[in-house]
Amino acid sequence: MSHVQHWLPLSSRIGSALLGGYIFVWGFSSLIVALNLFLGGDYDEGLTLAYMLAFLVFIVAFLWAFAATSLTRVWLILAGGGTAMTVAAWMLTQTLSAQL
Amino acid sequence: MPDALQLALAFLCSTYGMSLLALAMKVHWQQARDDEGPSAVAALTLRGVGASALLLSLWLCLRIDHVSMASLVWVMSLAASALTIALTLTWRPRWLGWVALWRRR
Amino acid sequence: MLSSFRLSMTWVHTWFGLVLGYVLMACFFFGSLSVFDREIDRWAIPETRYEPQALPSFDTMLLPIFKQIKPAEESYEHAQDEVEGPLPPADTMVPTHFTAYTTHRDPVLSMYSWFDVPNQPKDPNVDHVHVYGDATVDPRNGMLISSDKLKIGSAFFYPLHYHLHLDWKDLGYWIVGLAALIMLVALVTGVIMHRKIFREFFTFRPNKQTQRSTLDLHNLTGVVALPFHFFFAFTGLVIFAGIYLPVTEKMFHQQHQAHEKLEAVQTGLPHDPAGVAAPLASVDAMVEEARRRWAARGMGGEVGFLEVAHYGDTNGYVSIYRAGTDRVTLTGQGIHFRASTGELIREEPQPTTVSGINEWLTGLHLQHFRHWMLRWLYVFGGLCGCACIATGFIFFVEKRKRQHAKAGTSGARWVDALAVAAVTGMMIATATILVANRLLPESLPARGDWEQRIFWFAWLVALLHAAWRSAPVQRALISPAWREQCWALAMLCIAAPVLNWITTGDHLFKTIGERYWPVAGFDLALLAVAGVTAYAARRLARAEASAPASATSERATMDAAHA
Repeated sequence: MSHVQHWLPLSSRIGSALLGGYIFVWGFSSLIVALNLFLGGDYDEGLTLAYMLAFLVFIVAFLWAFAATSLTRVWLILAGGGTAMTVAAWMLTQTLSAQL
Repeated sequence: MPDALQLALAFLCSTYGMSLLALAMKVHWQQARDDEGPSAVAALTLRGVGASALLLSLWLCLRIDHVSMASLVWVMSLAASALTIALTLTWRPRWLGWVALWRRR
Repeated sequence: MLSSFRLSMTWVHTWFGLVLGYVLMACFFFGSLSVFDREIDRWAIPETRYEPQALPSFDTMLLPIFKQIKPAEESYEHAQDEVEGPLPPADTMVPTHFTAYTTHRDPVLSMYSWFDVPNQPKDPNVDHVHVYGDATVDPRNGMLISSDKLKIGSAFFYPLHYHLHLDWKDLGYWIVGLAALIMLVALVTGVIMHRKIFREFFTFRPNKQTQRSTLDLHNLTGVVALPFHFFFAFTGLVIFAGIYLPVTEKMFHQQHQAHEKLEAVQTGLPHDPAGVAAPLASVDAMVEEARRRWAARGMGGEVGFLEVAHYGDTNGYVSIYRAGTDRVTLTGQGIHFRASTGELIREEPQPTTVSGINEWLTGLHLQHFRHWMLRWLYVFGGLCGCACIATGFIFFVEKRKRQHAKAGTSGARWVDALAVAAVTGMMIATATILVANRLLPESLPARGDWEQRIFWFAWLVALLHAAWRSAPVQRALISPAWREQCWALAMLCIAAPVLNWITTGDHLFKTIGERYWPVAGFDLALLAVAGVTAYAARRLARAEASAPASATSERATMDAAHA
């Protein structure tokens, strides 16, 4: 196996854990904040809750990225799922703005 | 009783508790004493009394400070106690033999 | 990733632990020193070696000083980068916000002023840009402590542990944040890897082979203080979460604005100035009222934090917070008064569950409480963390240096050299800045900047020394750099208290006799470190002396094979 062929899957794995994990956590946090606002909660409370949970979620996502067998699935769920949650959060805020 | 003394007592309690928990393990019992190791009943008793000593330590901490602080003091003194017992087992394992005097056969 | 779950977790623990371990070493070490940062400040600035005081009179002492505070150069330049057009000259800027805070450990009082900037911010998501100024004051007489005097504890070691003094684009915060995340990952993977976590809970066998005894110590220091290690890394991340996950600025700006406006109406604390001038009523009277109200709730105490918002404006208000010395939560029980009249606007209610938990987590990390035993237990926990990381490096090298020696590669050597720099090198830099603090002329301009340069230079020298002396590791031997740096450290740690005595007259008999523990305690700690490192140096000398016999015969065999 050539040098590049060995390093690419490893870099991708590390990337999925760090970058994919970060995107997932961003999506998770913004969704918590948005949901809280949508349900009429206080902004700061939602943000505080999101922050306290975010890093616990990051640990799980990070370790799962290394434990999972299918790297494609990891990228899909972490980066894809994170993006989906971010979009969902954004859409919720648009709904709220329309209501304002 | 002055706070400093109560805290010292709490630390002593948790250290004593840790020593009993250590002795309940065969490998450490054999380091501390000459016989084969604690029987199943002895190990259970040691663990029971040891855990109680740790809880007593918590109670003493709660008497001194607000619960938010006492819980931290207790958790941290558990760590310090565990390390103390570990290092005692490394360098003076026989000292732990005295801790469970009541089990001398 | 690898053939089993445990193997994958082991890989993560080993490689991420190794790379970020160098950063974590600094975080844990300087974090441990930060537990006693104010005491280190006393050591470094001898004219502040007196007892902590309560907050002095705002009206007669603090207000005149606040009015004199000018924008700090660094802050002014930083703000210039963030706005369109040139800033008004620093001398003409008008302060809009004052804060003062005191702790039960600090003899000096820290005062900060904010100056509003009229220019348009470059980033559309940012509402205002502020410029800051500060002053440190002797509360007994209002004398200013020169800003040339570096508070080595609270202004150098403490910020070092959370942003490595790397300000460019918050890079330091991000590196430390990543390190903290990896710390959490390392703890979890460590537990997964450690098959006999309960059986070996009390196990440390220093008489066995280096690999075994090092691993024992690594496991012991990691497991025994596991809640501590986890909570500190976790709460550190939560504290700076606004930097790591800036969702408010990037996604919820509008909602946040609306929330701020609503909150201002609900609490009666105006968000913006009205633009109409108004005088400032007696703040001392407000402080008295606040203390009376706390006592009435059964929570008598001192003022921990005082803030004047929208100074000189009708919308101005004064916020007074109680020092939470008897609780883990930082400060609380805030009471707000109208600045122009002194009438009460609001008394803060009990925090909600979520806020309460967050305040407890934050307070746990930032430690403004008064509890000497818990403080020392924190240092103990931090040092366990340092030992855990250092033994991690040593185990990594020990496990691989024989293979690397046979294969002729140098990986283990460089890991070891970097480890020396990260452990003893870091401590040498620390001891050097203390020695420099005593040796530099008292009236040297920018004295603090010189001390910092000397710190970084000493660390660099230690790194170069470690690299230069680490060749034996390539032959599976111990690097003499460890022993040599231990000796250097021992000498520096003796020099520091001796120089303290010579330059200030505060020798141990005097400081212990007077029970001035900030200085006595630090001098004693330095001497204790000297003792431990000297002992370590001697043990290392013995270990190095006994190793060559086996190594040279191995070398002879290798040479014969190559010939």
